[in-house]
Amino acid sequence: MEAQRKFIVPIGPQHPALKEPGHFQFSVEGEIVTGATVRLGYVHRGIEKGAEARNWTQNLYLFERICGICSHVHATALALGAERLAGVEAPPRAQAIRTLMSELERIHSHMLWLGVAAHEGGFETLFMYSWRDREIVMDLLESLSGNRVNYSVNLIGGVKFDVTEKHHDEILKGIEILEERTKHYLKVVTTDRTFLARTRGVGLMTLQQAELFGAVGPTARASGVARDVRIDAPYEAYPQFPVRLVTDDGGDLLARFKVRTRELFESYRLIREILNHMPPGELTTRVPRRIPAGETISRVEAPRGELFYFIKSNGSEKPERIKVRTPSLCNWASVTQVAIGHKLADMPMILSGIDPCFSCNDRMVTINRGSSSQVWTWEELRRYGIEYYRQR
Amino acid sequence: MDTSTALEKAAAILQPWALATATPEPNRLDVVIERGSLIPAVKALVKARWGFFSALTGLDQPPSGDGEPVREGCVEVLYHFCSAAAVVTLRVSVPYSDAKIDSICEVIPSATLYERELIEMFGVECTGTPNTERLLLSDDWPEGVYPLRKSFTGFQQAEGQEANHGSAA
Repeated sequence: MEAQRKFIVPIGPQHPALKEPGHFQFSVEGEIVTGATVRLGYVHRGIEKGAEARNWTQNLYLFERICGICSHVHATALALGAERLAGVEAPPRAQAIRTLMSELERIHSHMLWLGVAAHEGGFETLFMYSWRDREIVMDLLESLSGNRVNYSVNLIGGVKFDVTEKHHDEILKGIEILEERTKHYLKVVTTDRTFLARTRGVGLMTLQQAELFGAVGPTARASGVARDVRIDAPYEAYPQFPVRLVTDDGGDLLARFKVRTRELFESYRLIREILNHMPPGELTTRVPRRIPAGETISRVEAPRGELFYFIKSNGSEKPERIKVRTPSLCNWASVTQVAIGHKLADMPMILSGIDPCFSCNDRMVTINRGSSSQVWTWEELRRYGIEYYRQR
Repeated sequence: MDTSTALEKAAAILQPWALATATPEPNRLDVVIERGSLIPAVKALVKARWGFFSALTGLDQPPSGDGEPVREGCVEVLYHFCSAAAVVTLRVSVPYSDAKIDSICEVIPSATLYERELIEMFGVECTGTPNTERLLLSDDWPEGVYPLRKSFTGFQQAEGQEANHGSAA
């Protein structure tokens, strides 16, 4: 009879809350997950192949569209790599503006995540508040670049716009409000009893596991891994504006909440530093249309962790090969391993805990002893998770 | 540990298997190895706790065209390890005619996703990899078509059928 109780629960590929689809299969014994696999590619657009048929400038636009949330870091990684191959460096003011945008982007990304993760845990009020406050940074991004997404800041060799006095004041005012709100959020996620029941000790990943599974970014730092490209291999203007490492030894969902929230304070501090010490000068430097032949590796810290670009130029107007390894790919491996031994009801939280740039599910099929079956939507799985904890 | 010390250390660790080494950039070390040396070399890096396995890149090198010296088509597989700012790349070349490489999953379990990507994009078999199911390409993608090889330039538009576009919903 035991064997009959083992179900495979397919989750995915569509999910209305997170962006991008992904498909997970959890084998469960009763309520406990015993195995997990992942299938990706539902939004595979062939960008790496497409890069080989486009020139460097066109590719800058193409690669900015890899991700709608952290678009700026993608374009930055490509621009930095191409500049290194061409043997040029963007002027200091351009580097500072890139860094400023990177940190504003991190704020919007972390706040977006905070809302989504709170929603999955059944904490709608926190979701509403954090997304309301996120509009402040969205307005700042729009006022600087003209866009809410795909800011299109970069050129190969510089940036497209300057930060004026007016922007300067706007940004300082905006992050002052955000900083107050973030203090409140940190207090909420670390003291609210109901919410702690969903995060404390859940999705535990030890330091050894995080290293073995190759986790990156806040997911790794919440397991005590001291790894941040902004510190390990500073790029843009990070050498002038050093970042302070934020880690936590907890390794559970609570630690991931703490790390991301505390990183917001670090971003506010950096933005003030940059604005108060903005280097004067040009915004662009001349770059040849043909990038000299060679290979380079460009690594930047995206909101979700290390973003890795391998770029090969053959000396023509078009790149020979651009390989992109996004941080979510590293963190997926950790989810499929960490999920084992946890309750099915914890899956929505564990999945959103890594801030995945994928999305999961619009329905799940419960295969029930081979005879009856029922179809659940993601919404129902989420409710099931919330109900499960309410009854305990 | 600063970058140059880290690279020197890596060079010493990998020295027994290195066919050639290069330093394309100050923070990088490229080590060309035989495919048979892949597992021992990766094991040595992991055992010495040198950095972490960051990415796997496939590079297609198609056979030479007319008028060039004869060269067999091959896929170069790059294993990138990062330790702070230092990046070490193990470079292994496999010919089209025998496109096989040992899976490194026994040493680094999280490499499974990267290997699945290599298998379907470049047609390199990863011997011993735990899962060979499709990761990125659609279910109705034809067998034996490897999109990131240079020889792939898109499908011929078949009649009444949208090429390059999965119809499996």
